[in-house]
Amino acid sequence: MSFPKSSKGVLGCFFEPEDALRAARKVRDSKYTHFDFLTPFPIHGMEEAMGQKASWIPWVSAGLAFTGILTAQAMMNYIMVVDWPMNFGGKPHAAWPSFIPITFELMVLFAAIGSAIVAIVAGKRDTVPQPPPLLIKTGATVDRFVVWISATDPKFADEPTVDFIKSLGAKEVRLVDERAGVAATGGDHA
Amino acid sequence: MTTHSESLYATVMDDSQLTGGPVVREGAGPYGGDEEIAEPMVTGGKKYRDVDQDICAHTEQFPMRRWWIAFGFALTLLGVLGVSLISLFYVGEGIVGINSPVNWGTFIVNFVFWIGIGHAGTLISAVLFLFRQKWRTAINRSAEAMTLFAVACAGIFPIIHLGRPWFAYWLFPYPNDRGPLWINFNSALSWDIFAISTYGLVSLTFWYVGLLPDLATVRDRATHPWRKWIYNALSFGWTGSHRAWRHYESAYLILAAFATPLVFSVHTIVSFDFATSIMPGWHATIFPPYFVIGAIFSGFAMVITLMVIMRSVFNLKHYITLNHLEAMAKVILFTGMLVGFAYSTEFFMAWYSGSEYEGFIFKNRAFGPYGWSYFIMFTCNVIVPQIFWFKRFRRSIPVLFVAAILVNVGMWFERYVIVVTSLHRDFLPSSWGMYDMTFFDWSILAGSFGLFFTLFLLFVRFLPVIAMSEVKGVMDPKVARSTATPEEKAA
Repeated sequence: MSFPKSSKGVLGCFFEPEDALRAARKVRDSKYTHFDFLTPFPIHGMEEAMGQKASWIPWVSAGLAFTGILTAQAMMNYIMVVDWPMNFGGKPHAAWPSFIPITFELMVLFAAIGSAIVAIVAGKRDTVPQPPPLLIKTGATVDRFVVWISATDPKFADEPTVDFIKSLGAKEVRLVDERAGVAATGGDHA
Repeated sequence: MTTHSESLYATVMDDSQLTGGPVVREGAGPYGGDEEIAEPMVTGGKKYRDVDQDICAHTEQFPMRRWWIAFGFALTLLGVLGVSLISLFYVGEGIVGINSPVNWGTFIVNFVFWIGIGHAGTLISAVLFLFRQKWRTAINRSAEAMTLFAVACAGIFPIIHLGRPWFAYWLFPYPNDRGPLWINFNSALSWDIFAISTYGLVSLTFWYVGLLPDLATVRDRATHPWRKWIYNALSFGWTGSHRAWRHYESAYLILAAFATPLVFSVHTIVSFDFATSIMPGWHATIFPPYFVIGAIFSGFAMVITLMVIMRSVFNLKHYITLNHLEAMAKVILFTGMLVGFAYSTEFFMAWYSGSEYEGFIFKNRAFGPYGWSYFIMFTCNVIVPQIFWFKRFRRSIPVLFVAAILVNVGMWFERYVIVVTSLHRDFLPSSWGMYDMTFFDWSILAGSFGLFFTLFLLFVRFLPVIAMSEVKGVMDPKVARSTATPEEKAA
């Protein structure tokens, strides 16, 4: 999934992960698709509640691990057998058991660092447009569990979306528009 | 689900209320039996917001006096390292004690010692993560930082041991105009290059990925626009999006799954440096597990040393509780016994193999001219940890602190015993000799501690020392939840 750029949207806060989970199921079953939950820590069961598929990162890791194995084997066999074969105590040039440690290390190196980079990039690309972190304090890195619906959603409309989020039981529902600054609409509706 | 009123998170205020065992509530179980509840990881009835305040606050103000004193001391030692290394490069290897027949001296001892220290960090962050040990959340960040800095210290020693350290890049295979003259992949030393560099890079990645959400927390607390901007860039604009958490959690699990065999492989390969040689005392199949377990043993001792200081200086006693320290003391007891078992196995095999050289080297190890170092090693590593059979001592801060330092001394001497006693008397009595450490051997060792503590003090100054996003995940949300906002209160 890729999304057009925007930083407009509506956000509302929950104070407990359970409330966010309940709300997530409702949003998943609603007409909105460009929604997200911003939380200080990952909530168990949220993927299912938001209707997300499991991450595809493990496939990337497997591919990278295999690339690491092939790289190591190709490098050592080329060097030790093709480019500069040397006689070390009469041992065979392609002494595969002594190639195992480096093969293992390169497998781990490729898979670990590659997966981390891909996950960070995927976390930026594979997500709905986010509220701009330097302008909008969501509290989602502290103690708020924030529901966010981006203005890029085809069904997005200022007032009805605000009302929808209020209907989920969220507090401090705000319409966020970078161009107009932050507009708090309605304040708290407990 | 416990209700607010009966949650232990709300009622356990400090260490004095922790017992180290589950809390039993008679007749409270679902079928009328007893219910056992684990004690909370965080005491003091903390809220999510308090976690940020307690952990970040000291990085947001001018450092306290004690930090400056410690930093000054560490920088001085780092200066000692610098001066010693410059002398070493200028004059040559002659200023340290290595000579024939002990050609591997303190440099290799220190290298193995520091790499071993690092292993506890990866064990805590990766292995305990896979085993879902929730208590790791309080200590994994600083233990991983310890790993990185220990690997940085370890990395110095093989390079200065080269004799011509300015050619250190020759260790890596790269196309060159010297033949091409490639490195020999049959050598355990070339495996070491790959193992140590992979370990350093993967530990750094794992640590940094774990830091991302916390860097965003620091950003959101920041008031100065530059500070906000810097931490935003460092966290790659993390917002806490659950669509990002999905990939993040997957990658974190994958990293843990790769770091776990990695940590075992690294010390295995370090032990291959010894075990693939034909020296009596080194040529043993027990070396890989023996080295790995010794590494975990010494690393946990270092973690205890650092945590005992950190929790009191930064007042983190609600997060790094006595229960955490006791859990680490149990790991020390267990690994200490395994290390003792390895020592005994070495002796048994020396006798049982019937090899007279093997038998001689072990008699010489314990009763020869270096018997004193074997005595220090055995006392510190096998006898001292036995006090942790007693719960009273596992939960006593002074005992933990002293025992942890003794274990580290013992583990340094373990490597000293392995390196020096095997080399100083080999097959031919005509080539026997003794090994004397010079002033520079000691100053480089002391200086490596200076590098370690300088890096660690900078870490505690600029970054959150506890993984806040992970600690929040093991708290009771009913207690930790945000209280009403000012607007809510007004309404």
